[in-house]
Amino acid sequence: MALKRSGTKYDIFTKIALVLVVAIVFFLIILPLLNILIYSTQPTGSAIITNAFSDVVIRQILWNTMKLGLTVAFLGTLLGFIMAYTQARVEFRGKKVLHIVNLVPIISPPFAFATAVIVLFGRSGIITRGIFDWRPTLYGYTGLVLVLTLSFFPIAYMNLLGMLRSLDPALDEAGSSLGASKWRIFRTVTLPLLIPGFAGSFLLLFIESIADLANPLIIGGNYTVLASRAYMAINGDYDIPMAAGYSFLLLLPALLVFLVQRYWAQRKSVVSVTGKPSGRPTVVTSRLARFFLLSVTFLLTSLIVLVYATVVLGAFVKIIGVENSFTLEHFRYLLGGFANAAVRATTFLALMATPLAGIFGMLIAWLVIRKVRRGSEALDFLGMLGIAVPGTVIGIGYAITYNDPVKIGGVTVFPQVAGGAAIFGGAIAIVMVYIIRSSPAGQRSGISLLQQIDPSIEEASASLGASGGRTFRLVTLPLISGALLSGLMYAFAHSMTTLSPIIFLVTPDISILTQKILAEADQGRYGNVFALCCMLIVLIMVIGGLINLLVRRFQVSTDRPLVTGR
Amino acid sequence: MKRSKLITFGALSALVFSMLAAVVAPADAARDLKGSVCAQEGQVRTISGVTYTCERVNGNLQYAAGRKLSGTLNVLCTPQELWCVEMTKAFQAKTGITTKFIRLSSGEAVTRLVASKNNPEFDVWTGGPNDSHISGRIQGVLDPYKSPTRNMLKAQFKDADGFWTGIYMGALGFCSNTNELKRLGLKAPTSWNDLLNAKYKGNIMMAHPGTSGTAYTALWSQVLRLGSEDAAIDYMKDLNKNILSYTRSGAGPTGPLGRGEVATGLVFSHDCTAAILRGNPLVVSFPKEGTGFEIGGIALVKGARNADAAKAYIDFSLSAEAQNIGPAKAESFQILTNPNAKYDRRMVNLKKVTLLNYEAEAAGVAAVKLKARFDKEVALTSSAK
Repeated sequence: MALKRSGTKYDIFTKIALVLVVAIVFFLIILPLLNILIYSTQPTGSAIITNAFSDVVIRQILWNTMKLGLTVAFLGTLLGFIMAYTQARVEFRGKKVLHIVNLVPIISPPFAFATAVIVLFGRSGIITRGIFDWRPTLYGYTGLVLVLTLSFFPIAYMNLLGMLRSLDPALDEAGSSLGASKWRIFRTVTLPLLIPGFAGSFLLLFIESIADLANPLIIGGNYTVLASRAYMAINGDYDIPMAAGYSFLLLLPALLVFLVQRYWAQRKSVVSVTGKPSGRPTVVTSRLARFFLLSVTFLLTSLIVLVYATVVLGAFVKIIGVENSFTLEHFRYLLGGFANAAVRATTFLALMATPLAGIFGMLIAWLVIRKVRRGSEALDFLGMLGIAVPGTVIGIGYAITYNDPVKIGGVTVFPQVAGGAAIFGGAIAIVMVYIIRSSPAGQRSGISLLQQIDPSIEEASASLGASGGRTFRLVTLPLISGALLSGLMYAFAHSMTTLSPIIFLVTPDISILTQKILAEADQGRYGNVFALCCMLIVLIMVIGGLINLLVRRFQVSTDRPLVTGR
Repeated sequence: MKRSKLITFGALSALVFSMLAAVVAPADAARDLKGSVCAQEGQVRTISGVTYTCERVNGNLQYAAGRKLSGTLNVLCTPQELWCVEMTKAFQAKTGITTKFIRLSSGEAVTRLVASKNNPEFDVWTGGPNDSHISGRIQGVLDPYKSPTRNMLKAQFKDADGFWTGIYMGALGFCSNTNELKRLGLKAPTSWNDLLNAKYKGNIMMAHPGTSGTAYTALWSQVLRLGSEDAAIDYMKDLNKNILSYTRSGAGPTGPLGRGEVATGLVFSHDCTAAILRGNPLVVSFPKEGTGFEIGGIALVKGARNADAAKAYIDFSLSAEAQNIGPAKAESFQILTNPNAKYDRRMVNLKKVTLLNYEAEAAGVAAVKLKARFDKEVALTSSAK
């Protein structure tokens, strides 16, 4: 049901927030994108767009992209749901460990999965060839689906777990006291309540997988997708208009899925009455269901463990699977001056970007759901542009926009922030990319959660005389602090592991770890790739843990269930 | 005079003397070395902050005009990272100029240079096949610079107008996994046509000519060998049936090759050699019909902020001292262009390899169109199957 927002004019806090958000979005994404779109009107660019369906090759690339995105979004959401449901509703030992293992793929650096999967399941894979004497070809659609699903399902898992935990068990109880079977309750109560979560996850996974560049580059084989084609256009044909044309095509499906998701989730959105659940959720007891859920969980978890074991092991042996003698040479090489500066710069910049991205995402979510009456869809979309646009396009957009000061009528409105000649050696552009690329995750989980929380809680605060800012700080933020936490963690991990836009923005002053990984993957030095991935993972875990602790400290006081009702 | 007073006096006068000397000495050391005799052609020396290059004038070795370097030098570096680290480190140690670099593949490098054309972020671009430098010249991102050391190099190693100068050379070869060859019942290929054998189906890897200078060298080699672009595209179409995947970077296939994902790859032989030295079961072979080669170029970036340091860096990269760093410290076994640089047994013996008559200029001029053709008619068609 749609809830009416208060009919009064926007308060001052909302106004400021709105102007700020729009300004930030404009410089962080719209302007670079506009530049790209201007380029796409040039002949080579418009040729791509106008021939999208008549040219057999372009049509194929378009279809490849859609097929990949839909498969990964479907499988990833499904897996994420199964894992989240098992976590929330099935009693078994080792739950905590399982939860952590499921989150680990979020912090997987680019290339870690792809390389490890080839080592394990490739044609000369340790498992496929070593155990089954089987030589599957992973280069192409199959490998991409496998790797992308494994990499991205945790996004769905996090989203859905958060929602499952905030569902009010009283609803289940009501269902069962009316005589419904557990299966029926699952079907008619639980699932419908999760629809915004499903839609949100599907959208995120779809966009992430069609925009992914690192994996198609390394195991895409001859399965060309729009992102890799746009990259080729820029780096091979030196043709930015052509790349802009492909990027435009990439924007369309993202836009489409986004609109469908909005319409669909809006219609079916069910607001749970309370802010926080009280009581204990029902537990799955059916043998069959338990067996199914636990075996899927077990299989997936072992797979993740196996992949990471490969990454870690691969860092400590000469050439894993070929020359398995223990060595520290990879680390010695990396820490002998090769990666030190990159470790420092990457960590520092990601730490700068993380809180900004987390709060920015939440702010948009709050404005979209609670405050903005007309144009909230547009605002939501603007906020999501950061991941709807493939990283390569953002990178190039930044490079052509921010390598010079931005001038309007001869007046500098934004300084040069990208490139080696910019202030701080181009670091600001990288932080900007980190923010715009990682805030959408916070925004989505914030939106999913806010859709479930009754606005009357905030309205109560407002009617007691609190200002908009005070309400946001004291009521809304605590309510969505879970989502904020996941948003922050995601922002940090995402920043640390972002590659495609960064390629165009690293400068001699600022070198970034993921770019170092790419350099080593390029040379086929898997040992160094694995060692760099290990370093990156350890960094993310340590700092992510600290963020977690920090946010939890602020969260403690609000953990009491909020007493509400209508 | 008491003894302690004497010591104090002695110490004081020593101090005054040394201060005087400190004031006078630099003036003395900073005398211009230009024109004075030096020992080895191409050698780069820094004395009191001024960097000189030893050049040959009318048969005599003497220092060219010195450059007083300052600020930092930003290098765009295309070969493997380790080489970039060692080269920039050596230059910094020699001149005292802070030298920073980033590594980008040749296609990315051109894109970056074009994107920052109005406000150059790099001073010098080093390494990568010179047809990409020629693309750079055509795109207007390079400035000519004729190093005094050029005179030592063979004509093929330098651009007549000075837009690029060769620092190394590499020959394209076949890099094969010995275990996989055995399994497939094949010998290391010795002809381009060997690669068309149906047994190789899905067992060959090479980089994509779009992003990789290596792969473009392979493509242009077919044009030279078969006589026309059409014939080259036809060959690539046939070869495409056996290709498992096109990698982004030239040396990219060595990883999967070492693991035995594929049997054979098309790479520069020095990349294969480096992989062998890391313990991969690989072997290098060459096509008897002749193979293509790259000349790794170095070029001055147009509008470089620190052009003086960039020029000194180019001089340095051409010196025997700098070129010896590759094989000694950076697992890089390209053939070196300075005749005084040391030969390393791990480099290709050019006497045993047939080279095609490869002209980078023609290759560079044809690049954009031919790459687009390859993409449309070969790589993308296979994905449309």
